Amino acid sequence: MQYVKTIHILTKVYNEFDVITPQVEAIVAESGVKNGMVTVLTKHTTTGVTVNEALECLESDIAVALSLFAPEDRPYSHARMLRDYGSTAGNPTGHLKALVTGSHCHFLIQDGKINRGGAQDVYFCEYDGPASRNILVIVEGE
Amino acid sequence: MFIDIHVHPAFYEPINADENREELRHQELDIHKNGTAPLEHIFNQMRCAGLDKLCLLPEDYTSTVGCALVSNEEIRTLVDLAPDRFIGFASVDPSDPEAPDRLEEAFTRLKLKGLKLHPGRQHFMPGEERLEAIYQVCERYDKPILFHAGLSWEPDTFTRYCQPTAFEEVAEKHPKLRICLGHFAWPWVRETAMLMVKYPNVYADTGALYFDNAYEFYTQTFTKDIPVTWIDRSLRHQVMFGSNNPRFEQIRMADAITKIGLRDSTLELVKGLNAVEFLGGLD
Repeated sequence: MQYVKTIHILTKVYNEFDVITPQVEAIVAESGVKNGMVTVLTKHTTTGVTVNEALECLESDIAVALSLFAPEDRPYSHARMLRDYGSTAGNPTGHLKALVTGSHCHFLIQDGKINRGGAQDVYFCEYDGPASRNILVIVEGE
Repeated sequence: MFIDIHVHPAFYEPINADENREELRHQELDIHKNGTAPLEHIFNQMRCAGLDKLCLLPEDYTSTVGCALVSNEEIRTLVDLAPDRFIGFASVDPSDPEAPDRLEEAFTRLKLKGLKLHPGRQHFMPGEERLEAIYQVCERYDKPILFHAGLSWEPDTFTRYCQPTAFEEVAEKHPKLRICLGHFAWPWVRETAMLMVKYPNVYADTGALYFDNAYEFYTQTFTKDIPVTWIDRSLRHQVMFGSNNPRFEQIRMADAITKIGLRDSTLELVKGLNAVEFLGGLD
């Protein structure tokens, strides 16, 4: 079977990291799936979904590392009017940071629970906030 | 006090319960893939940009589209949801013979603070005689007019209606009427500066971002196309920050305006004090 739910987040600042493990676990529990897989997938291209240890210090280090990789003051090409949007693109760093953390993660479900390591949490990463964001949680199995 | 004088609330969630109306707005404004914004998100954006107030502009295109894309009543609804954050403007269609009466109602019953007109989309020359009755209502109630000027990205718009010199007759004939050339009438920023240095009742907002990023575009427009000294020395009481959000990027533009080399005292004027003067106070 497949069970799909959307987590909706209104992010509040330009870059932020939100632990969404409890929401994902709740969706897995309500799905009734005992053995299978869960995929957590962002629907946006200037956000990420990644797995890491939920520590304030690491969030800070990751933010700094990403800003070194994609500093705000470079002359990016993605800075122009986009006809499909009718608006100006100004978020190249968001797209680039999203490359690093990726768009999704997977976990094994066993006995109705996510099998994750003790230090593993699921992060939703905002790189162009504040914004209204949607994350798909796709539970598949029996 | 930091005011964005040029905001289009067409996609604010409280006025987009009707999906057909939302789709019409996407098509007629040529703004896509942005969804609708709950007010909480708008407030988050304001906080990130450091903005205290937004001036919300409607669009009455009844004669060409068949309705107002955002009506005066919808602006009133939004202002009532956040009266400490939103300043509401009115719009009328100059092709409507009842436009002066509708405008008077917008100023009296709906308590809106100014008028937005778009010559390029509403297909009129600002100096046309038929506009006089509308201008007189604004003068009678001491309300300013924010004109679209310069390039417009909207469909069915013609730039010949929007060149700065098209507004000179209005500025000359109505010296007590405060008018703003939206978007600094880009690309005619030198001509806009020409009008502003001659007519103290002519203002301009900074709501343009057609190339590059916000900082690069502001640097080109306000330090190279015209020297920044023109604003800092001569036009410092007539330039207002505007973003034209959601077309352009409010947060990055709000940051960019602080980095083009204006004196702190000029920046204070551009960020808010000039808007307060233009509006005739915030009451």
